[in-house]
Amino acid sequence: MWLPVLALLALTPVGGVAHEMGSTRVAIWISADRYRVEIVTDAQALADKLAAASREAPGTVLGAPEERGFEERLRERVTLAFDGVPGDPAVSYAVAPATRDIASAVTIELTGLLPDGAQTLEWTYGWTYAAYSLTVHRPNQVQPSVSWLNGGESSAPIDLTGPAPVDSRLQVAVRYLRLGFTHIVPYGLDHVLFVLGIFLLTRQLRPLLMQVTAFTVAHSLTLGLSIFGVVAVAPAVVEPLIALSIVYVAIENLLVRTVKPWRVAVVFAFGLLHGLGFAGVLQELGLPRSELVTALVTFNLGVEAGQLAVIAVAFLLVGVWFGHRPWYRRRIVMPASVLIAGVGVYWTIQRLAV
Amino acid sequence: MTGVLVATAPILAHDFWLEPSAFRLEPGASVALRLRVGEHFVGDALPRHPAMLSQFIAAGPGGMRPVPGQDGKDPAGVLRVEQPGLVVVGYRSRHSFVEQKPDKFDAYLVEEGLDRIAAVRATQKSTGLVRELFSRCAKALLVAGPGGGSGHDRILGFTLELVPEKNPYMMRAGGALPVRLLYEGQPLAGALIVAMNRADPSTKVRARSGADGRVSLGLSRDGAWLIKAVHMIPAAAGSGAQWESLWASLTFELAGPPAARPVKKRQQ
Repeated sequence: MWLPVLALLALTPVGGVAHEMGSTRVAIWISADRYRVEIVTDAQALADKLAAASREAPGTVLGAPEERGFEERLRERVTLAFDGVPGDPAVSYAVAPATRDIASAVTIELTGLLPDGAQTLEWTYGWTYAAYSLTVHRPNQVQPSVSWLNGGESSAPIDLTGPAPVDSRLQVAVRYLRLGFTHIVPYGLDHVLFVLGIFLLTRQLRPLLMQVTAFTVAHSLTLGLSIFGVVAVAPAVVEPLIALSIVYVAIENLLVRTVKPWRVAVVFAFGLLHGLGFAGVLQELGLPRSELVTALVTFNLGVEAGQLAVIAVAFLLVGVWFGHRPWYRRRIVMPASVLIAGVGVYWTIQRLAV
Repeated sequence: MTGVLVATAPILAHDFWLEPSAFRLEPGASVALRLRVGEHFVGDALPRHPAMLSQFIAAGPGGMRPVPGQDGKDPAGVLRVEQPGLVVVGYRSRHSFVEQKPDKFDAYLVEEGLDRIAAVRATQKSTGLVRELFSRCAKALLVAGPGGGSGHDRILGFTLELVPEKNPYMMRAGGALPVRLLYEGQPLAGALIVAMNRADPSTKVRARSGADGRVSLGLSRDGAWLIKAVHMIPAAAGSGAQWESLWASLTFELAGPPAARPVKKRQQ
């Protein structure tokens, strides 16, 4: 849910934008023998364009796909050229209803078989005035490539042949271990603050380990269950609750001095939430089908390593030097917890508003 | 699915306007403000983007304030209008740039009535891609509550700005709307000003601004109207572009002629 927005903001070059970036998103998935194109675009804008192309009055809503020659008009404005030869995809579409503050969107799907021996694919979409993002997912590629195109502009040729060799188990393991770690440091500031909140409460090893273990078991559980489709919770619910969990641990740090029995249970419950958050990220990154378990386990290990790194650094920087001082709680734990709680409150509000 | 599309690659110069979810509101109601880019009053929505947005403001009876919204979101802004009266919403973009083949660029100059630039181009021998900076100065007029209110001629100070000299909410379809075009605060003469109605956008009302920057546009139909004007200047040295264009627009809604009054009664 956050990733497309962040990607949009991150793609902004310094000193001006090349394109007027619209809300249309195109994604192409290439598999061994098929292709699938998904065009997600504003439903009202598409209905208006369709009406204009049919010389009808605007303001109508998009109905059934066969209506008003939709497919014919779309085909006039879309080209999938395999080595220069236009393909003939099957077309379908579905309209998602509008929510409170998001306009209703239509998802158009174009599917077909890759022609035998095809080397490249060039994509052209001419039914948009604003620039749109094109995301290409190729087999055995974890990170899809993203580019911005103007309406009517052809994409760079997409290589259909490579990268041919399937990644080895070790390569997958290393890659997901790294992804898991970087998801905590430096990208997962919310998880970092939660872990720091746990660290600040106690310097004693046993209660610290109990909390960390409870958190780990819980988030591993929901991460796994989510990836295998057993549980599914919308990010709109999970993300504000994760922010709220940060507020909770920080405030409890202010109110109590020792690890109460309920603390471990609460941390376990919050771990379940954070696991759902990790699963959302992992699903957006994409998982290799052939090495699903490897990727899942190593991603989780990477997350673990990231959390332990946070605790280790906090311990070396603060705990070792000041942990035994009489003013440790007053001058370090209290202000840091207030700060963490404040950031947590801010995130909770921000995420609820989305 | 043939090569036809490549041969008729579109001209990369589109209109830009503000599209409110409603032009007429009840006081206390919220209005979603979408940024639209397109042609013939049909367009795509642009989400709010901090790198593209320079100013997004609303001026009404309660004074001037920024239009809030969330980055990456469409609608780009959501405004709560508390007091009855006329509200002028303005969106000023930062610069974007576009590169076009010379023949496409010249065709676009003709289409937008930029005759002076076309004349300059005719004396030049240029074959390479033409790089152009462009930016947007869009306004929308909304009205809250009964009556038309005042403040329609409020000048927001955009580099290129269309200023209605009569309140469209105090007139009806069939009347003439006097509009003034300002460039850097001064009247701009000889510019092509085009108006189109949502229900029949291919029928354009066109007029050239006089020495005082004024035109009078005969607006025959009721419903949403879009008025636009484009101004082009040589791009500043060091900008990396040859030309810079400014796109002003104004959107508002016109009530039907008196005969259509029964429809309006429901509002009271």
